[in-house]
Amino acid sequence: MKFAHFADVHIGSWRDPRLKDCSTQAFNKAIDLCISEKVDFVLIAGDLFNTSMPAIDGLKVVTRRFKELSDLSIPVYIIAGSHDFSPSGKTMIDVLEEAGLVKNVVKGSIVDNRLRLNFTVDKKTGAKITGMLGRRGMLERQFYESLDLSALENEPGFKIFMLHTALSEFKPKDLDKVDATPLSYLPKGFNYYAGGHVHYIFEKNEPGYGLITYPGALFPANFKEMEEFGHGGLYIVDEKSSKYVPITLFERIAFNIDCKGRKPKDVEQELLNKISSSQLQNAIVTLRLSGKLSEGKTSDIDFKRIFDLIYSKNAYFAMRNTNALESEEFEEIKIDADSIEEIEERIIKEHLGQIKIDNEEQLVKDLMKILNKEKLEGEKNADFEKRIVEEMREFVN
Amino acid sequence: MVKGQVVSGQFGEILVRQKSGEQIEIGELLFAESNNSHMILQVYDLVYGSQLTQQQLELISGMKLEENTDMEFMNAELRNYVLAKVKTLLTINDKGTHIPKQLPDFFSNVREVRKDDLGFITKPNDPLFLGKLRSGSHMIDIDVSLEGVKVLQHHILIAATTGRGKSNLVKSMLWNILDTDYCGILVLDPHDEYYGRNSFGLKNHSRRDKVVYYSKTPVTGGRSLKVNLKTIKPGHFNGAVNWSDAQTEALYAYYKKYGDEWIEAILLEKEIEHFMEGTTGVVRRRMMSLLDLYVRDGQIFSNGIFDTTSGFTTIKDIVNDLENTKVVVVDTSAFTGSSEILVGSLIVNEVFGRYKHHKLAGTLDKKPVISIVLEEAPRVLGKNVLEQGSNIFETIAREGRKFKIGLTAITQLPSLIPREILANMNTKIILGLEMGPERQAIIESASQDLSEDSRNIAALDKGEAIVTSNFSRFALPIKIPLFEESVKHPNQKPIQSYQKEYLGIQIV
Repeated sequence: MKFAHFADVHIGSWRDPRLKDCSTQAFNKAIDLCISEKVDFVLIAGDLFNTSMPAIDGLKVVTRRFKELSDLSIPVYIIAGSHDFSPSGKTMIDVLEEAGLVKNVVKGSIVDNRLRLNFTVDKKTGAKITGMLGRRGMLERQFYESLDLSALENEPGFKIFMLHTALSEFKPKDLDKVDATPLSYLPKGFNYYAGGHVHYIFEKNEPGYGLITYPGALFPANFKEMEEFGHGGLYIVDEKSSKYVPITLFERIAFNIDCKGRKPKDVEQELLNKISSSQLQNAIVTLRLSGKLSEGKTSDIDFKRIFDLIYSKNAYFAMRNTNALESEEFEEIKIDADSIEEIEERIIKEHLGQIKIDNEEQLVKDLMKILNKEKLEGEKNADFEKRIVEEMREFVN
Repeated sequence: MVKGQVVSGQFGEILVRQKSGEQIEIGELLFAESNNSHMILQVYDLVYGSQLTQQQLELISGMKLEENTDMEFMNAELRNYVLAKVKTLLTINDKGTHIPKQLPDFFSNVREVRKDDLGFITKPNDPLFLGKLRSGSHMIDIDVSLEGVKVLQHHILIAATTGRGKSNLVKSMLWNILDTDYCGILVLDPHDEYYGRNSFGLKNHSRRDKVVYYSKTPVTGGRSLKVNLKTIKPGHFNGAVNWSDAQTEALYAYYKKYGDEWIEAILLEKEIEHFMEGTTGVVRRRMMSLLDLYVRDGQIFSNGIFDTTSGFTTIKDIVNDLENTKVVVVDTSAFTGSSEILVGSLIVNEVFGRYKHHKLAGTLDKKPVISIVLEEAPRVLGKNVLEQGSNIFETIAREGRKFKIGLTAITQLPSLIPREILANMNTKIILGLEMGPERQAIIESASQDLSEDSRNIAALDKGEAIVTSNFSRFALPIKIPLFEESVKHPNQKPIQSYQKEYLGIQIV
């Protein structure tokens, strides 16, 4: 028996046009690997799509590849995740299941007031697969609370439990704020626990349970993951071993600059020097700047110049994170106020004079007024965006 | 119903003659009515009174015992009676309640206290329910709840001999705390008795989402207690293990050199300069024993709760839950005493660090008070232990109240705790204590004058207690209802009601 396990593909997640197709490309690579590795079946532990109703482009690719697997008699067992689950039941996973391309293993019955999950048996290998979907806000917790564990635990054979939730005991240290389910909610004695939802690579043979793995996202889903991993990946598992296989689309080159006590121009120059001396061909470049500048504003660092240099070296994509970058000129202001308008009023006053513009206060208020406008009933997003841009342009002119 | 009359005595030692046919008990609350004000009195001793001399009484007894003389007293109820020694607890007048500064009127009648006499006992906004008011051995249907934030912040000491109802009291307190949202409680539970693993317990509360249970072997819904080695620092061992000076220096040297991988470095015998092989060898062996780890083929394996691959967020998770006003029960029944203290030390250090930060950031006011329930408190607060060096529990006992962190320390032997720490514990719940020195230690550090109450304390039956607190007007006698009988057994939410919510699961 040999199978592949991946999760959190998040097809359609990135908005930037250059990264938009990356999750689909990673998915393609993963399917290629499943075929070349001649796996008996594929497990997808939630969040194949970034929404329950994904865009047609990504859906077409997924459907075509699942059909290819189906033609090769490689079944796909899947659970819904917190992104592609829909309370209404209208999810694309159901459509794919109706078409016979995937098998959603989250099925059960109510026996003696408890939820008894059914096993889906893989015909070729006899592996018994079941699992629990993931929902936003850990709403699946009530399902776990009502699970009939003994029925699952007493089932003989090679058993796989798919889950789309973080486990309290195994959360990575930087995700302590993430909601999690205690391990004790899972049935014991399964051979394999196919995890999803938490984007980290984790593997542990837990006494009393079995092999628990999380492959993380198939393609990094945000700056932090891009910086930390630079790639996604999946597990290839057989009866004897498990192997994490990275799926790499681009080389990732990370620049991490400590700006504490430095001038914006010095930081900018250091970055330019480092970029100049690096090979960035077809790489994804991450820039992380942190610390408090000794003078000036963060906007004094000319990021346009830096990004131009990066792209002139044929990098595929560049992204920056300046969340932990502070400047002396923008200190946090603590205020007591009762209404949002009052807070806005006072914050505007606190910041007046930082930029040389006539009638600055009124300008800021008017800008906020325009940006605060809401979408009209029946107005399309594109029209809404156009209307706001036009109003802004008119105002600035 | 008149129970007696004030006949003599002095302030703090008033004599009340018991009316024949009435029974006055030690600890009983009495009510003395006067023209301008009333007083609540409490009996602390009982003696016989007689109009006859002692010699006459002994002679009469001899005639009955030795000669079978059939003798009856004429107007017996006038000749022999019981005198109760009482003290004044509170004066009540139309301006409110006051600490007494006067004697009750001479010959004033005293009667048993009634519920409507005690209208001044009200429920605070942040109630910490302790029990029902008690008069002698009789329970009065008045809930005794103190101001939870203040009481928890200024530490509680629960003193009692085994079998006097400590666990019942703590269970009852925790159960009632779950209905409130002003505090987070960490319970280090060496007997695994609060969560209700196999019986009725906190897990059965209607707000069970507020109960978090950690155990080495959790039941469904509980969390496995896993603590990653990287979260441990040398200071966490203070109070848990007695290291020699050389060993302590070695710990810090490893920490300095290897950072959060210092324990792994010790176990894997990584290089460290300036230390004798014997010293590092002992440190390694003791560390392996304490943390229940072993090394094979250059890899560290865990038998217990301390691990290299999991438990990265356990301590933070616990503190997050405490900040979210949850009751976190850590089952330490499977640990050695040292391991239990180490786990406690890890959590309490994190709580203390975080609340210090909140204070600096000016956000402490918005945070709930956190209390740490600690059994057998002298293990970390005992004089002998503190002579070896300070630990985080002592720090909390001395400074915690400034940071909204308190201890709920439980002990049979309060005399082992240094006097200045006992004095810092501003609420004491005293259950039965037979041993004189233990009673004395409590009496000397009580918030109210209990100097005459030694006998009263010794006479406390199971479930009876005296609460002395800076936050109550007088030492409150209470009866703690039996947990299993008193709490409402909430109906478990029927599973069927989830059915319509089984969204996403194909029910076949």
